[in-house]
Amino acid sequence: MLEKIIESFDRHAAENAFCISNNFFTYSDLNKNCGSIQGLINKLQLPDNSNIGIVTYDDIQTYSSVFSIVFSGHAFVPINPANPSERNKAIIEQAGIKYILSSSSSESLMEIINSGITLINTTEKITDSIFKPEALDKNKLAYLLFTSGSTGVPKGVPITVGNLDAFLDAFFSLGYKINNTDRFLQMFDMTFDLSLMSYMAPLCIGACVYTVPFDAIKYTYIYSLFEDHKITFALMVPSILTHLRPYFDEIKLDAMRYSLFCGEALYEDIILEWSECIPNALIENVYGPTEATIFCMTIDVKREGGNKSFNGIIAIGKPMENTNSINVNENNIPLGAGDKGELCLSGKQITPGYWKNELKNSEAFFILKENGETVRYYRTGDLCYFDNDGDFFYCGRVDHQVKIQGFRVELNEIEHYAREFLQQHNVVAVPFTNSIGNTLIHLFIENYSGSFHPLTDYLKTKIPSYMIPNKFTSIATFPMNANYKIDRKALAETLKIKN
Amino acid sequence: METTDILNEVNTIFKRIFENDAIVINPETVADDIDEWDSLNHTIMIVEVETHFGVKFKLKEIMGFKNVGDMCRIVKIKLDEKKLNP
Repeated sequence: MLEKIIESFDRHAAENAFCISNNFFTYSDLNKNCGSIQGLINKLQLPDNSNIGIVTYDDIQTYSSVFSIVFSGHAFVPINPANPSERNKAIIEQAGIKYILSSSSSESLMEIINSGITLINTTEKITDSIFKPEALDKNKLAYLLFTSGSTGVPKGVPITVGNLDAFLDAFFSLGYKINNTDRFLQMFDMTFDLSLMSYMAPLCIGACVYTVPFDAIKYTYIYSLFEDHKITFALMVPSILTHLRPYFDEIKLDAMRYSLFCGEALYEDIILEWSECIPNALIENVYGPTEATIFCMTIDVKREGGNKSFNGIIAIGKPMENTNSINVNENNIPLGAGDKGELCLSGKQITPGYWKNELKNSEAFFILKENGETVRYYRTGDLCYFDNDGDFFYCGRVDHQVKIQGFRVELNEIEHYAREFLQQHNVVAVPFTNSIGNTLIHLFIENYSGSFHPLTDYLKTKIPSYMIPNKFTSIATFPMNANYKIDRKALAETLKIKN
Repeated sequence: METTDILNEVNTIFKRIFENDAIVINPETVADDIDEWDSLNHTIMIVEVETHFGVKFKLKEIMGFKNVGDMCRIVKIKLDEKKLNP
């Protein structure tokens, strides 16, 4: 499937591939940029399938870098320049990156460039370099993404060319009637794998990708794209709807044909209201962890209501082609319909395993015998059940992860850095929902009388902005449960009482 | 109410929601000038301004806000309209 992108370079050469900050770039422009960047990569004479960093700016060089790297037999590692330099350094070190492609060389970026790492300027033009995509090998890594890790060290999730190809194959098997006249929204930070669907799927069919600048006020910019460019296909995180909800009565997007949601729980009440704004669109709830490549389960949302849901959250549906889903108990024994357990996934989209993290791999993956064959399953950490039709329902997390603005966040990671700063104080991070329905973090600190500002300043140097707690409370003594563990539920209850 | 009074009251709202007493805004202030002003806080700020002045912005109006001054000007227009048609 990935080769289809290269076919589009020729077949749709004169058509628009990207609209970035209202500037259009054709497939021919993309092809030329890929050629130039591939020329820069070839000069490096890297060992096969090396990890190459890309500093993710919202520009054509950044997107071109992705294809130049993958079609030169290497893997890309997106690095968000807005993230704390210490976090980026940890990623660069873990991934063993020696070269980083970047279209800019800002001061904050120079901080992460240690000795021994070379920054390659992708705006440098090699005019005679024609893009020569290599034949793809399904076993090679295509990209390495880092997600929040409970010990404070980000976890690397490697995705192979075969994984990515299986996703695209499953995506196009969903039967969406899309072609080169479609206009796709790309609202995601490129360190978030939903971005890959948002730009790779359209490029496979010669469609145009409309990006959202990182520093834009997202929901107003997205809405301008919907209105001004008549976007036809939009994958979004549900929290965008909570921002747009007060204005639903003003919104009528006749051009929208596909409206997909992923990354967070999708509530039926808001999606039915949204359906009125997009009268001609098919609405889908899609689900999947980074470890299973972008998304791997889906369900149609019925605009007339009566959708399958649990606690108001729309079901996550059935596995797509190339994925199998089961529910297991704590002993990895598969459960039947109606029984709550941990959702586990197998199939061609599953990562080969966390990057250089055998301990985590032994916890997150297990083998089951199915019809005499051994099948490798990934534990999602999501508590689910399925009904007699085989549709899965999301019931919450089995651990301490939450989703904030679509990003998966380990509460333990926030606590780890808060404790590191505060030294002698116990801390507990509790998610809460604010007045407009967004999930935020409230940090409780035991017996602390100092100012919270220095702590916030410290956290800003360690974790991305979406992980910084929004509220802080000091409590003399934390409540304990029957097992003498800090009673997180009781702390969460105090937030409900407050509100 | 004059635009300068509106600006002063908006300044108080900014200090509270962005939890920073040092914030001093002027008509040219934009999101880039205030660290805490991101997509999420933008929505909260809009809701707070609407509630404080008893007005409701249209999405198109919000999209047209290039800076704080634009927002205060729309607040003034809406307050004046309310005065004429209570």
